Amino acid sequence: MKILVITEQRQGKWNNASFETLAAAEKIAKETGSAVTAVVIGKNISNLAEEIAAKNLSEVLVVEHNLLEAYTPDGYCVALKQVVASAKPDLVLFPHTYQVRDFAPKLAAQLGKGTIGDCIDYRHEGGKLIFVRQMFQGKTVADVTFSGEAPWFASFQSGAFRADLLTANPSGKASIKAFAVDLKAEQIRTKPLELFKEAKSSVDLTQAPIIVSVGRGIKAPENIAQAEAVAKAIGGELAASRPICDEGWLPMERQIGSSGQTVSPKLYLALGISGAIQHVVGMKGARTIVAINKDANAPIFEIADYGVVGDIFEIMPALTAALEKAKSA
Amino acid sequence: MTQREQLDADVLIVGAGPAGLSCALHLANLIKKHNDSAAKPELSAENIYVLEKGREVGAHQLSGAIMNPKALAELVPDFEKTAPLDTRVTDSAALLFTEGSSFRAPITPPPFQNAGNYVVSLNKIVKWMGERVEAAGVNLFKEFGGASLIYERDGIAGVITEDKGVDKHGKPKANFTPGYELRAKVTVLAEGSRGSLTKQLVQRNKLDNINPQSYGIGIKELWEVQPGRIAPGFVAHTLGWPVPMDMYGGGWIYGLSNNRVSIGMVLALDFADPQFDPHAAFQIWKTHPYVKQILDGGKLVRYGAKSLPYGGWYSMPRNYVDGGLIIGDSGSFLDSQRLKGIHLAMKSGMLAAETIFEALKAGDTSAKMLSAFPQKIDQSYIKKELWQVRNFHQSFQHGMLRGFVHAGLQFVTGGRGLIDPMRSHADFEAYKKIDGRPAPERFKGDGKLTFDRLTDVYHSGTRHEEDQPCHLVVSDLNVCATKCVEEYGNPCQYFCPAAVYEIVKETNGGVRLKINAANCVHCKTCDINDPYQIINWVVPEGGGGPNYEGM
Repeated sequence: MKILVITEQRQGKWNNASFETLAAAEKIAKETGSAVTAVVIGKNISNLAEEIAAKNLSEVLVVEHNLLEAYTPDGYCVALKQVVASAKPDLVLFPHTYQVRDFAPKLAAQLGKGTIGDCIDYRHEGGKLIFVRQMFQGKTVADVTFSGEAPWFASFQSGAFRADLLTANPSGKASIKAFAVDLKAEQIRTKPLELFKEAKSSVDLTQAPIIVSVGRGIKAPENIAQAEAVAKAIGGELAASRPICDEGWLPMERQIGSSGQTVSPKLYLALGISGAIQHVVGMKGARTIVAINKDANAPIFEIADYGVVGDIFEIMPALTAALEKAKSA
Repeated sequence: MTQREQLDADVLIVGAGPAGLSCALHLANLIKKHNDSAAKPELSAENIYVLEKGREVGAHQLSGAIMNPKALAELVPDFEKTAPLDTRVTDSAALLFTEGSSFRAPITPPPFQNAGNYVVSLNKIVKWMGERVEAAGVNLFKEFGGASLIYERDGIAGVITEDKGVDKHGKPKANFTPGYELRAKVTVLAEGSRGSLTKQLVQRNKLDNINPQSYGIGIKELWEVQPGRIAPGFVAHTLGWPVPMDMYGGGWIYGLSNNRVSIGMVLALDFADPQFDPHAAFQIWKTHPYVKQILDGGKLVRYGAKSLPYGGWYSMPRNYVDGGLIIGDSGSFLDSQRLKGIHLAMKSGMLAAETIFEALKAGDTSAKMLSAFPQKIDQSYIKKELWQVRNFHQSFQHGMLRGFVHAGLQFVTGGRGLIDPMRSHADFEAYKKIDGRPAPERFKGDGKLTFDRLTDVYHSGTRHEEDQPCHLVVSDLNVCATKCVEEYGNPCQYFCPAAVYEIVKETNGGVRLKINAANCVHCKTCDINDPYQIINWVVPEGGGGPNYEGM
């Protein structure tokens, strides 16, 4: 049997799940008497190829092309289809990464095959490979096997095999072969833009010493600017109770309470917040709580150190002005 | 079309409550005995699947609860040794409340007698049953709800579970997992009161009985009180204040071990005033001196609310179709006079198990084969108990006074009374229009003895994934903003015990319905009681909902 492992790298850096899949392939190869070929795909990847050639496999195929520098599902499918056609593997293994989720089913479908995705283990029984995958959020596992002709496609879940169990090449180094692919720009229908890291959260309320928080009393999204002015003047972060974020007037990451952030700033200024328990559990740890609300019976006054019964629309601009004045004085 | 993974089972039970778990456990026991005797065909408990939408088994279980142990004794003969029973009923009282005073009936009327019964936490009982069911080899899938039925023949052939990882606009998120297609020879609907799949099947196959199902709402708080305030095992039921005489309902006070008290109120949902607020009525009830002296100085531990089917025998839907059975509250197995359904739910599950066992052996799960289920019910104590009170709830549709006259006559005639069968209407048809009456002021609570709804909801432990489609599907929001404002004053904002429905004033002077779906405690009152029947409760992403630990 011949096993092909499609490794994953990005900008010359390995996705470590690649080594886990190589370890899985080594184990399968041992049990079935197979040979393992690793495929490295991209541009300027010869050093990566050198690195894995030292592992226990028989061959490394280097699939290098200008158009493969950045990942595109079309580019990878066109290239790997040619690799599969030439190498004629029985089994093609992938690490189950986001990228693999994107192109592997497409590649298999183009070849008229299915994929068994996100496997956590395999068994070799009666000359047949059985793959194990989780169902019902891991509550139960299913045995799945291939019907029909090779090649078969499967991917392994990250963490399913231990990369450190991958052994060194007994003969020192596997042979490295360049594999030339025929790939044209017009075959790629998507255009990758620059890579970026998703901004985790532009604001970390848990670290803010001063928080100015608005509630339902703010009435309309256009009024939030007034609270923002207060926050700016006092040097604090803007936050809100659930109804405000639920309406989309402020992003979810600025929500304080049981379904949002829990904060304990030095100063918490609650503007038009009634003080429902769902909000209070997220901010009662604040050192000083100042509440402004026109309803004298609002529960927020029970936990406030300083309370003002009044109209926030009168107080906010006055407060901003006073703060600015104090700063410039 | 979404490609779904498919799994085949012999039996698929939707809902891990007393009914569903009794069905699973009894069937697993029957299968074990069958296999031990080497009988053919070989069956396996592993081919029984149970779906539960809650985070844990028992998380969505809410009841008073006084349990008649007779079904459990049949199911688990040594239950008294292992089940978390809390305490035996030692004294039962019937109390009449007026504003400021209470009168105890010198002789507790039979429906309120509870000798031999247990005060329990249904959450704990069900959790314990779940462990037994899993130990018997049954596959129990938590955090999975039944989203839709697979229709085949003239009935059902399984369930599609809810899609996971869908955002609020209906788009798949990074963790999107399509629901599973679970196929079974027999699908058992054990979803509890107003099951969302049961509703679909009953409508589609026209399974309604001569009366539509009618419901009540139960609102409960669990308290920890000062020592010595109430004896464990003392149970009281109250009638009267503050429930108006034209409404049917009352309160309960059950003494539990460790200074805990279960208090609550049940109210029939066929009230006429669309601005009536059941949660507020319950809060006001707590200020009665009798209740207050028990609770004073104590602490609210947990809160919950759930509807319950009141209709009884004449509201029982046809409970068998090709490949399907309906059990428990979904099938109207509740005695509305005694307000007891746990033992009937369990028994219905066990009789369903016996029916299914025969069907699997025969290799025939058609409606004809499964019609053995209602026959078994007829021969069991379920029929005996429900038949005596077959006209009970209907009697109260015109208020307490007339109700007691009818009920008294029914009591001496074995349930027949003056009219038999007595007909009833759907609960929401009882609403009278508000005729320009202004909105009443909302109940706020003092934060110690009484609470507003948001505070109570917080104590229900309710949690939902926030970024998911709204599971309260209102088919026409225009009706809410126009017609309903005028005719009924938006009853959803009053009847919902979890502050899900909120009427928000718009800057242009109009109003808009805002649905705080994350607050939903899965009581189903909105699905039942909206006057235009435009609210459809569908299962949210599995694992969402209340956490009724210890309730």
